[in-house]
Amino acid sequence: ANMKLILIFSALIGASLCLETFVGHQVLRIKTKNEKEVKQLQLLESLEHLELDFWINPSASALPVDVRIPAVSVQSVKAFLESQGIEYSILIEDLQDVLDKEKQDMAESAQRQRSSSSFDFGAYHTLDDINNELDLLASEYSFVEKIQIGESYEKRPLYVLKFSTGGSNRPAIWLDAGIHSREWVTQASALWIANKIASDYGTDASITSLLDKMDLFLLPVANPDGFVYTHTWNRMWRKTRSKIPGSICVGVDPNRNWDAGFGGPGASNKPCSDSYHGPSANSEVEVKSVVDFIKNHGNFKAFLTLHSYSQLLMYPYGYKCTRPDDYAELESLGRAAASSIQSLYGTTFQVGTICKTIYQASGGSIDWSYDNGIKYSFAFELRDTGRYGFLLPANQIIPAAKETWLGLKKIMEHVRD
Amino acid sequence: ELPPSHFPAGRAAAVAVGYLRYLRGGPGRGLELRALRRARRQDIDDVGHKYCLELELEDVLDKGRTVSCTAEVLYHLGSKSTAPDVQVTVQGELRSTEEADKEFYNRIRSLEKELVAENIPDSHGNVPPELEPIHLLAWAASGYVTWQNSTENTKFHLAQVKHVKQVKRSDEDLQFDYVLLLHEMVSQEVIPWELSVLWHPQRGARVSRERRQPGHA
Repeated sequence: ANMKLILIFSALIGASLCLETFVGHQVLRIKTKNEKEVKQLQLLESLEHLELDFWINPSASALPVDVRIPAVSVQSVKAFLESQGIEYSILIEDLQDVLDKEKQDMAESAQRQRSSSSFDFGAYHTLDDINNELDLLASEYSFVEKIQIGESYEKRPLYVLKFSTGGSNRPAIWLDAGIHSREWVTQASALWIANKIASDYGTDASITSLLDKMDLFLLPVANPDGFVYTHTWNRMWRKTRSKIPGSICVGVDPNRNWDAGFGGPGASNKPCSDSYHGPSANSEVEVKSVVDFIKNHGNFKAFLTLHSYSQLLMYPYGYKCTRPDDYAELESLGRAAASSIQSLYGTTFQVGTICKTIYQASGGSIDWSYDNGIKYSFAFELRDTGRYGFLLPANQIIPAAKETWLGLKKIMEHVRD
Repeated sequence: ELPPSHFPAGRAAAVAVGYLRYLRGGPGRGLELRALRRARRQDIDDVGHKYCLELELEDVLDKGRTVSCTAEVLYHLGSKSTAPDVQVTVQGELRSTEEADKEFYNRIRSLEKELVAENIPDSHGNVPPELEPIHLLAWAASGYVTWQNSTENTKFHLAQVKHVKQVKRSDEDLQFDYVLLLHEMVSQEVIPWELSVLWHPQRGARVSRERRQPGHA
């Protein structure tokens, strides 16, 4: 048998070429059944002119033998193995294909790395750019996942970033932005905050201990239809873009559509109004999707929502002017958060219930979350106080995001503890 | 006594600031509320509600300095068509705008073609430097609209200058016809408003005509 081996393969001596590519090279996995077969493979291994590249060498152990075979030798080696009754399978059909793909993956990954850290958080972006950045964050960080919780009226996906370092249905924090589409500083701040949390996990003690105990769900664009509309048609659009039966007017105020004092004072029953509450509670799919998600999860401890403008930090209630049961704690926590915000640039936020601070408003999100057992429910109104209003200059995005983050962090730390 | 952080005091303060912004603001000065220190309300039978306010204001072009103010805002009972009465006393000095006003006046007067512009700020909050005085003048004029149209159930802010067109005059005033977008906080409506504004370095800003834009849905 040994002689036969040498005879067959000596013919191939001259055919050995020194190739720089691996076109046509195959990697075989050989399963030896006994010591005799092992010895035959070891003999094969000794024939250097074949330029066989053993990735796992033949040995007496139970491990398979993996070997890379240059193109010219593939058929002959296979013929030999078959003639000896040695079992094998093809691990890699063509090694060059695999290498090409790997090179492409690496280039794309490098490209993505450059893009993810080159996203300009200090500028306003389109919905497509925002969604792209969510993908980049999810691909770059193992504990960040992009999930879809539903679809808007015009069938745009509602994407949520899930920050989770493990566990099973850990107590969670909800944060959303852009429910009112013209409040552009909120979607922009949410992106900055997402990146901040992702990149600081592992280095910042507070974020690390927070995510080690709790999950965070962030919905940066709660009203994508409205957001696209502010880019394409009307920068001042606030509502959703749902068709209202019997009316020429479009859209419902999504922050009057929640099932909390729905239809009460502070919301309009006129479809053309910018504070129209809609035909019924949760009629807006953008609202219903969040409600269903939170109910199904069942373990949310905080519900935080970003709006602009006015520089306010509010807690329930909006639909009624009486104090919530947890008034003292929420007021105290709100003040602490406002103090954190102020510590950075001196920006002052007023603290109080929605009803006392801004107006009575029914059907609001944090009233719903609070009445559904999520104690730490807060609504932020970010910069400014009216000089630019909704049209906050882009150079204020990052300062606004940074100071807001300090306030959010204060609340989250309290929830964690 | 009213908590300054609660909305009734805040709305009255916005009226007072709007009024003062109109009186003392212009292309070289934008007055804004820095802080509301104190607010009291007095209900006067058969007359209305009077708010007494202690405010701190600042000029956005001179942010290091604040000025104290006292103001009285009287909302007339049951009246939707009468503007609130406002009185304001300013303690202290505001930064002089003489140089800036002269420079703006001469620049506009020497334009060959009438100035026309729109969307100030733009969607991203940008205001080209040469249009900043036009923006500030609009802001001052919007103070008049705020004052004239406010009730205890409204709070107006200038959301955007939708359109502005200079109108050349034979006298010494500059005239700008604006379409402003006003954001009314309580209803959340953004309302287009047409106004003609006259301005002169010595005479200041005057709104000569104003109306809600007809036909707005």
